[in-house]
This record gives sequence, C-alpha cells and structure tokens, in this order.
Amino acid sequence: MAKITMIEAIAMAHGWEMQHDPRVVVIGQDVGANGGVFRATAGLQQRFGKDRVQDTPLAEAAIAGMSVGMATHGLKPVAEIQFMGFLYPALDQIVNHMSRMRNRTRGRLTCPVVMRMPHGGGIHAPEHHSESTESMLCHIPGIRVVCPSSPARAYGLLLAAIRDPDPVMFLEPVRLYRAVRQEVADDGQALPLDACCILREGSDATIVTWGAMTIETLRAAAELEKRGVSVEVIDLCTLSPIDIETILESIAKTGRLVIVHEAARNVGVGAEIAALVAEHGLFDLQAPIRRVTGFDTVVPLFQLEQEYIPSTQRIIDTVQLTLTEGA
Amino acid sequence: MKCRPNNIWPVNTVPEITPAWHNSRMRNVAEFKIQYRQILDPRGNPCAPLPAFAADADELRRMYRMMVLVRIFDAKCVNLQRTGQLGTYPSCLGHEATHVGVGAAMLPEDVLAPVYREVGTQLWRGVTMGEMLLYWAGDERGNDFSQPRHDFAWCVPIATQTLHAAGAAMAFQVLKQPRCALAYIGDGGTSEGAFYEAINLAGARKLPVVFVIVNNGWAISVPVSAQTAAETLAQKAIAAGIPGVQVDGNDCIAVRQTVAEALDAARRGAGPAVIEALTYRLSDHTTADDASRYRGEHELKEAWNLEPMIRMREFLSRSKLWDAAQEGNLQQECAEQVETAVRMHFQQSKPGSDAMFEHLFAQLPVHLQEQRATARRYAAKVSGH
Amino acid sequence: MSTFKLPDLGEGLAEAEILEWHVKVGDQVRVDQPMVSVETAKAVVEVPSPFSGVVTALRGAVGDIVPTGAPLIDFDSGTVVGSMPAHNEEEFVEQAGVVPVRARANGSGNGSGSGRAVPAARALAKRLNVDLTNLAGSGRGGLITIDDVLAGVDALGARNAPAVAGGAPESLRGMRRAMAQSMSQSRDQVAGSTVCDDADIHSWNRRGDFTLRLMRALIFAWRAEPALNAWYDSASLSRTLIDHIDLAIAVDAPDGLIVPVIRGIDGKTADQLRAAIAAQKEAAHQRRTAAKDLRGFTLMLSNFGTLAGRYGIPLVVPPAVAILGAGKVREDAVAIAGTVQARRRMPLSLSFDHRCITGGEACRFLAAVIADLERPE
Repeated sequence: MAKITMIEAIAMAHGWEMQHDPRVVVIGQDVGANGGVFRATAGLQQRFGKDRVQDTPLAEAAIAGMSVGMATHGLKPVAEIQFMGFLYPALDQIVNHMSRMRNRTRGRLTCPVVMRMPHGGGIHAPEHHSESTESMLCHIPGIRVVCPSSPARAYGLLLAAIRDPDPVMFLEPVRLYRAVRQEVADDGQALPLDACCILREGSDATIVTWGAMTIETLRAAAELEKRGVSVEVIDLCTLSPIDIETILESIAKTGRLVIVHEAARNVGVGAEIAALVAEHGLFDLQAPIRRVTGFDTVVPLFQLEQEYIPSTQRIIDTVQLTLTEGA
Repeated sequence: MKCRPNNIWPVNTVPEITPAWHNSRMRNVAEFKIQYRQILDPRGNPCAPLPAFAADADELRRMYRMMVLVRIFDAKCVNLQRTGQLGTYPSCLGHEATHVGVGAAMLPEDVLAPVYREVGTQLWRGVTMGEMLLYWAGDERGNDFSQPRHDFAWCVPIATQTLHAAGAAMAFQVLKQPRCALAYIGDGGTSEGAFYEAINLAGARKLPVVFVIVNNGWAISVPVSAQTAAETLAQKAIAAGIPGVQVDGNDCIAVRQTVAEALDAARRGAGPAVIEALTYRLSDHTTADDASRYRGEHELKEAWNLEPMIRMREFLSRSKLWDAAQEGNLQQECAEQVETAVRMHFQQSKPGSDAMFEHLFAQLPVHLQEQRATARRYAAKVSGH
Repeated sequence: MSTFKLPDLGEGLAEAEILEWHVKVGDQVRVDQPMVSVETAKAVVEVPSPFSGVVTALRGAVGDIVPTGAPLIDFDSGTVVGSMPAHNEEEFVEQAGVVPVRARANGSGNGSGSGRAVPAARALAKRLNVDLTNLAGSGRGGLITIDDVLAGVDALGARNAPAVAGGAPESLRGMRRAMAQSMSQSRDQVAGSTVCDDADIHSWNRRGDFTLRLMRALIFAWRAEPALNAWYDSASLSRTLIDHIDLAIAVDAPDGLIVPVIRGIDGKTADQLRAAIAAQKEAAHQRRTAAKDLRGFTLMLSNFGTLAGRYGIPLVVPPAVAILGAGKVREDAVAIAGTVQARRRMPLSLSFDHRCITGGEACRFLAAVIADLERPE
C-alpha cells in the first residue's frame, strides 16, 4: 500500500464514491481538466466524463445555489470552493436554503451536498487565501462542519460526508495537503461523523484541537512528555456538532483543558467547547480552561503568517500555566 | 486592411435550435449591436484614423516605454518567485497594451479599482515597483501606495471591486466632483453576481464609472466559451442599459482612446460604460498554476503573433519615432530600473508582529493590547526558530 | 560558496522532481538564467538562477525527488537575499490507526471522586492551604462545597490551633502581597517628605469630576515644574525626566490596593481619560487588571478623600518620585479680605522623594496644581 498525501487521499475518496454511487457529481472552478488548483479532483474528469465533473463559471453563489437544486433533484453534488476566503458569496445560499431545506419542507426536499474548501494558512499564499472562519459555519443550524487532519481521516471522513443525507462543509487544512504521507487503503471505509479522535493519550492535561494545528499540538505534547507532563490530544474532527462526551471523559481524567485553534479567538469554536465544558464538566476542572488561538486581527499577509499561527511554544507555555493554576 | 477581432479561443455563436417564437411574426421592441475598435493591426499598421494624442510623439514613446518596463518587471517577478524570493505572483504578460492604455486614459484624480494583475495601469498612476514587490512578498505595506493615495488596493475576491468603483462614482456624483471611477474585471469575473449588480446600479444612477473587462481568454483553466454563452462580454452592458464596446486589448492606442472617450462622457454626466478589451494571458494564471495542463500549445503560439509590444514598436519605427539604438537603450534602462527596485526591496526589514495590530482600528481596543503583547513575546521566538 | 535550496514553488508544495538541468558544474551562470526544470505536484516549472556565479555542484540528478528546503545547487559565490521560508515535510508524530470514537461513558466522566470540588471551594481551599483530597464532599455526588472546605479549616484549626485566640495567621496573597512589597520598598529607599495645602474649589460645579480635574491639574503643574514626573535610580544617582505622564491611580479594591496606570494622560482628551479611568476601575474590581497595567508609571495620584481623610502622607513608590493625595472636600470657614466665608476646599498632600526633588520644586508644583484646580470649570 503506497503512502499518500492528504490531497491524494481526497482525490481517492472522490474516485471511490463516484465509482460506487452514480448520483455523485463534482462541480467547482477548475475542477475539470485542471483537476482543481490543489489537484484534489485530479483525473476525475478523464475518468468519469464532463457530465459528472463540471467546471462552473466563476461564481460561488452559483456553485452553492446550483448544489441545492441538484441535491434536491436526484444528484449528490460535491462542490469545491477554491479557497475558504471565496466562500462568502455562497453564504446566502448555504444559510438561507441548503441548511434549512429539510426543515422547512418537513423532510420533503433534502440537500445531501458536500462543500469542500481549503482552510487556514501557512503556505505563504496571497491575500484572502489563509483564513480559518469555521466558527461562522458552525453557527449555522442544519449543516455539519468537518475538518480532517491526516490523509486517512480525510479519506474516511470525506466518504462519510458524501454519504451523509445532510449538507456537510468539509474544511481541508492547506498546510496538511502535502505535509505528510500515510498508508491509506482505498477500501471505501468511511469514518464516523460527529465523533472526536484521540490522537494521543495522557493524564495531566487535555488539548482539544483540529485541522493543521494538530501539527503544533502533537509537537508540544511530545516536548511536554520529555518534561514529564502527560498530555492527551483530541482532534475534534467534526467541528459542528461537537462530540462533547469524549472531551468530558478526557477532562474527568486530566482535570485540565487547553483548546488550540488557528482561527481568531473571539467567538471561535474554542469558545463553544469551553462553554460546553463549563456547563457539563466544571466540577472536574482543576484549573481554568485556556485557549491558544490566532489573534483577533486580520490574518496578515504571509511575512507575518508564522507570527499569527499559534506556535508550539505558546501551546507548551499554556499547558504549563494550567498546571500551575488551581488546586 | 480590415479590422478583425483578435479572438483566438472559440467564440460563442447563436444556437441553431431556438424557441418557436424565434422566427414568428413579432414586432421588434429593441435592437442592439456591439462594435469593435482596432486602430493598429497586429503588424503595427493603422487600420483606422489615429486619435489626436497620437500626434504627440513623446506621448507615444512614453506609452511604449511603460509597456517595456512592465514586461521586464513582470519577468523579474516571476523569476523572484521561482527562486523563493517572492510569493505567488500573477503575471501580466500580454496585457501591457490594455493596462498602459487604461493608465494613460485616466486622469490623476480619477479612482482606479484594480484586480491584481494591472501592473501597467498602476505604474502609470504612480504606484511604485517597490510597493508591488512588497505586496507580493507578503507585506501589507505594499498596499499603502505612495501615490495615488485615493486608489483602491489590489482586490483578490473576484468582482467585488466593481461595486467599490460604483460606490466611489456615487460619492463623486453626490459631492459634485468632476471625477470618474474605473474598475477592472476579468472575463471570469463577469460571471459573478457582484459584476451584474455593479453595472446595473451604475446604469440606474448614471454614475461616472467605467468598467474595463480584460478578456484574456482564460479564468485559470476555464475558457470564455465555458464561462458564458454570450458572443461578447461587452454585450452584458446591454442588460444594464449602458453602452458596451469591444476594443483590441493588444492595441495600446485603441485602448487609450476608447477608455478616454468613455471617461470623458462619464465625467460630463453621460453615465457609465463597459469596455471589453480582447487580449490574451500569455502566462500561467499565477506562478502556482501550470496552463499546459489545460491549454493547447497551438493556441498559445497564435496568441504570441498578436501580442502588443511588436505592433507598438513597429508602428513607432515605421513612423520614424523609434530606432534600434533607442530600443537597446530602453531595454537596458528598464532592466536597471527594475534591478534597483529589487535591490532596494531586499534592503527593507521584515514587518514586526505589531503590524498585525497597528491598523486594525483607529484606536486599538484593550483586549487586543494584550494580544499584541503576546504576539511580541512569541515573535522573537518564531524568528529565532 | 553558497547553496541554493529548493523553494516552495507553489503553495504548500513539499517536493519537486528534477526533470532537466540546464547548467552543469563549472558553468558560469548569470542571474535569471534558466537553471533547472522541475516538476511539482502542480506544475512543470523552470527555476532560474538566483544569482551570478560558477556552478560547483548539482545536488541531485534527473529523476531525483528533492524535498522543499533541501540543497539544489552550489555556487562559488553569490547570496540569496530575502528568501521565503521553506516547508519541510512534517514528522508524523501521531500514532497509527487513530479513528474517531465517541466516548462510551454517558455524561460527565468517571467522577473519580478525589477532589471534585465546586470551583469557588477549590479556590478557597487553595487560599487556606487545605488539601482537597483529605476532604469528604457533602454536595451531590461527593462534590466538595465551600462549607466542606471551611469545616476542613476548622478541623485543621483544631489540630494546629495557635496559642492566641482570635484567628489564624493568613499569608498575604495577590494584591495585598504586592502592596506589602512595594510599600516596604518605599520605606527602605525613599527619602519621603510631604507638603500640604488646600485648593479652593468653591466655584466648581457640584458634580465636578474630581479625578479628571486632578489629572488636568497634574498635567498643568508638570508643564510648570517638570522635575516631579521622573524616575530616580539610586544605584547610579541619576534621574530621568519623562516626556509624558503615565499616571498611576490608587484604586481601593476588595483584594487590596491596586494601582493601575493610565498611559500618556497628557495626550488624551477628557473623554478618553474618563473611559480609561472607568476601564481600569472596572478591571480592578473584576480582579483582572493586566500585569502590564501595574508597571511603568511616572507619577502617582491617590484620591483617598472619596472615602475619608483630610491630609495624609502618601508614600512614593520608586522609581517614581512624587505622589499627590487628595483628601475629602469640605466646607471650611475661610478668611477672605477680612471676612469669614464658607468655601468648599480640597485638601492636598504632595509627597516627594527628597533625594532628587528640592522642596522648592515640590512647592512650585503644588502651587501650580492649586492654581489649576482653582479655575472655574
């Protein structure tokens, strides 16, 4: 079994599902002959034809709105938004239609749509290409938000997202597209949605993170271990709805929680996790919950990208802070 | 010689099967046509009367000089990216005539809403090569143009800038200032809702704004024929109730004259216009793209026959305004100018972490002062890493 | 010699395959001359030479895959300036075969019991040095409550009761501890001296904003006599006059004395000052004054008269050299031109560090404060 990158795993998941479900179609800008600007749809048009892999005009509202029409009438669109920064014209369709079609028609019409988009920064891309605005999406009732952090999880979670009967926003951390290789079996096995992954077990503190920040978090955990601190690392995987039980169980064991995300702090997904833990797990906490996040600033152009993205050192320092706080 | 639109990519035509009412006896209530202008043919021969400004030899040489500078600077930027010294860069190779023609047609007090490829227009208006290098090297200071202070900065979210130009034009109308706004947009951008909203609104309010569609044939990998069924992009103006015209975007003289006429009319209260400049993207979309994956070699070769530098140079030398010695000097001068700008660029220090906070608000809120301190504390560690 | 490393040629590309070298060892190359063609995951790209020089080594053969950031070619000279950060392949530190799993337990964990406590009880236990693991919780599910902690203290007290009645020693914490330290420092270092006087504020609107007026008066006095807005370094016997005022304002907070700093008061409008004061007072009462807001003041103000007290001897905290105290405003019988009138007056006490401030400077400063305060609004 060859070791593949996340981007190859994503293309592979598309291929499997298109092969096995004729309703699946891929749409987006440059997804056809070009195979997507990141090559996530490479080879699909040659393999499945122009009807099932369609380049759209340059219009994001059209991509989302057409997905609603296609999904309600027999297709399962997997739509690519070229960068998360270009999602916003599509929000009208997502908020006002895609997310609520099932509810407002009492289940008569449904939207099994996957909208994939590159997420986050760290690849010195141009302006508007490095944002992480997942909390905007998580605030919309009726859609799922999923974010894989390894090639295997990208494969399994994308299959699950395509098979899910409801709309899924699938956020792909650009920093991880080609950062690591992993053996992934092309066996059509989906992974469960709405469930966390425990990337590393530990007993002194819990770190919850997702997407590309798993890199710095796992590095921090490894460094802390050398200093005698045992950290449990949880990858959220599905950002909405949150699998809070797994997090609570971990906190009951460790008593300390640090949340790490690349997105800005203010009203980020970390705030929701902190609130849920405050509601359901407060008495297990031995120290205040801490967050390590991007700053509440515009994501800077790439000269300052590394200053914006939370560093391994910030995570280490924050974990150590929680260990000195409280009882 | 007959002027021909220099499209080389497939052009849409009216479909053969049409609704039954297409040929039935109905009354015409409105009819439209789209005109095309070319002044210099691809070999530099005038095929239409020359405009008044073309009598000024210095002005023509100034336009040509700028085109040459743009081409050399552009090639340098691509090389800097290839050697890891610049971020992703969108080349403007082949667009020099359109960009310089538009720059020369505008008045300094007009407002430009660029996309991200219009090096020629911006250099003409006073943005420096240093500022451009800063921006593409990932530093916001590049957006702080030394001049013109009132122009919009580069605009990556496609088509959004067209509404900004319409808004600026509305400000001029309300404030009774004799100024115009000019928005660029690409062929792909005309598929975005914002573009239709902008031209419609500009028409409804008769705003002093000109929209220049730079039709270079390709929106990354999507050709115009897959972007729209319309025969021209200029005709999109018709639906907005405003004039639309095509111009040979590789003909700097035709572009300048057409844009100048539209701006002049807009300034005198005639309202907006759409100008479709037909040119060709001789490069990849950006340095992160590889056009050979989706574009035929033949088409690219054809396009090189129509490129804008030759015809301007041929026209000038045939008119005895330019010779080989001048050409050699100019190439060397421009190369030196570019090298100097690049050298000075690399002498600048990297922005500090405070730059993230400096211009976020007029006055930084208290909670952000704490974050600024955190950023400072860790910035040293990041760069030391 | 200089080595050119393969840059990230796209956006986040990890590697590139060498397709063709356009130069060989020994070649003299010019800047921007085509050097090598490589294929990335996204494109075939021709990489030009970043500088001029003689090629001394090619660090890869055709067909080799070179990771981003790895050496590509060596030159006998030349430097690349301003190069972009390279991206190395990440080490994959995660254990293999990790899949999402929903927690088996339903709800809030395994409730191991030892030390599960109400947060406030946990904080109290820490303050009182009570070990939670030794306490039995009386709350739901064995949760330790505040009463349990207090009972724990009593039990502890019964065991370790001091010989004297009326309470156990409490080690100072937080703000009170900081106060103890800074006041000791003041006592040990400063040659304090205090002058007192009154400002006649009878002409003020009754709702006058005292703190703001006092700040304005301090700015006015500083312009008249800059010596009091300074830092004194006893080690080098040097003083530094400061070109702006960062004013520390004493705030009486539940946990002790908090002295947050309002920065650059001489450059702020009245509205900005009001907002800054309000924000710092609020922060002090919420116990979330940032540490940076407690440092680096150049002058101090204590408006203790809002509580009680006429004159006082405020203490200067080094390296600052002066502090103004404002007492309780009251109506005094004042002799004016041979008649006795009832006038509202504000008692003022100015302490200064006599090591570097002369009595004359202090008195001129105080006179200027009074002059400004006595102006009608």
